[in-house]
Amino acid sequence: MGAHISIPMYRRTVPQRYRLAGQRCTACGRVNFPPKAVCRYCRTGTGFDSVRLSGRGTVYSYTVIAGGGAPPEFSEEARCKGSYPVVLVELEEGPRIIAQLVDPPEEGITVGMKVEAVFRRIYEEEGVIRYGFKFRPV
Amino acid sequence: MRSVSVVGIGETKMGKFPERSLRDLILEAGTKAIGDAGIEKERIEALYLGNYNGSYWSLQSHMGPLGSEVLGLGDIPTLRTEGACATGSLAFRQGLMAVAAGFYDVVLVGGVEKMTHRQTETVTTGLASAADADLEVSLGATFPSLFAMIANRYFFEYGNVREQMAVCAVQNHDNALLNPDAQMHKKITVQDVCNGFPVAYPFTVYDCSLVSDGACFVVLAATDVAGEFCKKRLVEVAGSGHAGDAITMAAKKSLTTFTATLGAARQAYEMAGIRPADVDFAEVHDCFTITQIINIEDLGFFPKGRGAAAVAAGRTALDGELPINPSGGLKAKGHPIGCTGLSQIYEAVVQIRGEAGARQVKNAETGLTHNLGGSGATCLVHIFRGR
Ligand SMILES: [Zn+2]
Repeated sequence: MGAHISIPMYRRTVPQRYRLAGQRCTACGRVNFPPKAVCRYCRTGTGFDSVRLSGRGTVYSYTVIAGGGAPPEFSEEARCKGSYPVVLVELEEGPRIIAQLVDPPEEGITVGMKVEAVFRRIYEEEGVIRYGFKFRPV
Repeated sequence: MRSVSVVGIGETKMGKFPERSLRDLILEAGTKAIGDAGIEKERIEALYLGNYNGSYWSLQSHMGPLGSEVLGLGDIPTLRTEGACATGSLAFRQGLMAVAAGFYDVVLVGGVEKMTHRQTETVTTGLASAADADLEVSLGATFPSLFAMIANRYFFEYGNVREQMAVCAVQNHDNALLNPDAQMHKKITVQDVCNGFPVAYPFTVYDCSLVSDGACFVVLAATDVAGEFCKKRLVEVAGSGHAGDAITMAAKKSLTTFTATLGAARQAYEMAGIRPADVDFAEVHDCFTITQIINIEDLGFFPKGRGAAAVAAGRTALDGELPINPSGGLKAKGHPIGCTGLSQIYEAVVQIRGEAGARQVKNAETGLTHNLGGSGATCLVHIFRGR
């Protein structure tokens, strides 16, 4: 078993996982994603307005995880596909997030490539399919 | 603050030892260190023991009392530290601070890890728990994949140094050939590295450090009492630094500089009153080839973006101007997580004492050890000087 996230814990984070719900700090104006109790940027702001992120961004860096090197939840996927790409995306609103990339371009992934978030099955644990976002090239 | 010196060292060979338990590893390395210091066990006032993930890989927590029992240290206070791959150095710094502050005169510091008895998936899962479970691992990222993204970003910012970067692994393997405690005794080439079994692009298996079992212990003493029993050359802890950064890679300001390395190095250089150019050799964290490149830049040895070229030019080889990882590093000596930081310190002491045999660095008077945890969230730098 890899990262164990119970169903109640997963449910509580559904807004960020399904709809990219973020928060704008009322003190400094910057966007935090995933949501935080204290603003990551000014480290003092605790008041936030909710914002829904566009899901658009650019590839800040990337890799392709080879079959055999994947965490247990993803080993079947890695075995089926042989390998799968993971990207660090810089979102339009500022935050960077890690996610998988689907439909990678044949000519290869590049830093700076434009991508958008898509809703996908991520993995299954405790008999429940965990959904969330991946990215695909625009 | 009192001056503190390393007065005894001991380690096991690093490797894959199916028949040896955590207890066996602790017993061998701890006994050697106490023997090397030439002290009675009764003089040891506390034990600081680094262990990253025995709680998961061996279902054994509470490693401090386990260690003191195995070594017959009696009812002394113990503390287990955990800071991902920097676990061992973290234990060292706790012991150092306690002696420097005057709480104790003599303490034992150790690090131990047992990894090879578990299947690859279990090892991978245990390692990945040093990343953010919620935001990284549950999305499909692995530990190698995080550093692979660091490498690709480095290539984007400073140019593709894939082949030069591979020389780190080649040099570390060359050095390990001369180290009897090293796990790997195998010469490799740049082509072996570049064409190896893929792990996470651009890394092949040769860019990654080893999965190892091992233990290493050191005895620390206040320098003013060390003369009472220490027959070997005293190696003073001249500098110590410890800094942190965000646990998630996504929250790091830059992927191509380890902020925690900059911070820990600044503190250690300042405390020792030296500059990077005064360092004669260094043990630098090389969990992956790119990590060594970025760290030798962040430690101030080479300008930003020039680390790979310096390595490829042989400047960090055993006979170069600044030998890096004379022990063979995490890549070839081995990387039993909780033991690694102490294993680096072991090498620094061996070199300064002039006991390194075939891999002895010339004029090894000042040595630096650098130990990084997670994707750069914990860093410790120590500077050692012969007296
Ligand atoms: Zn703020």
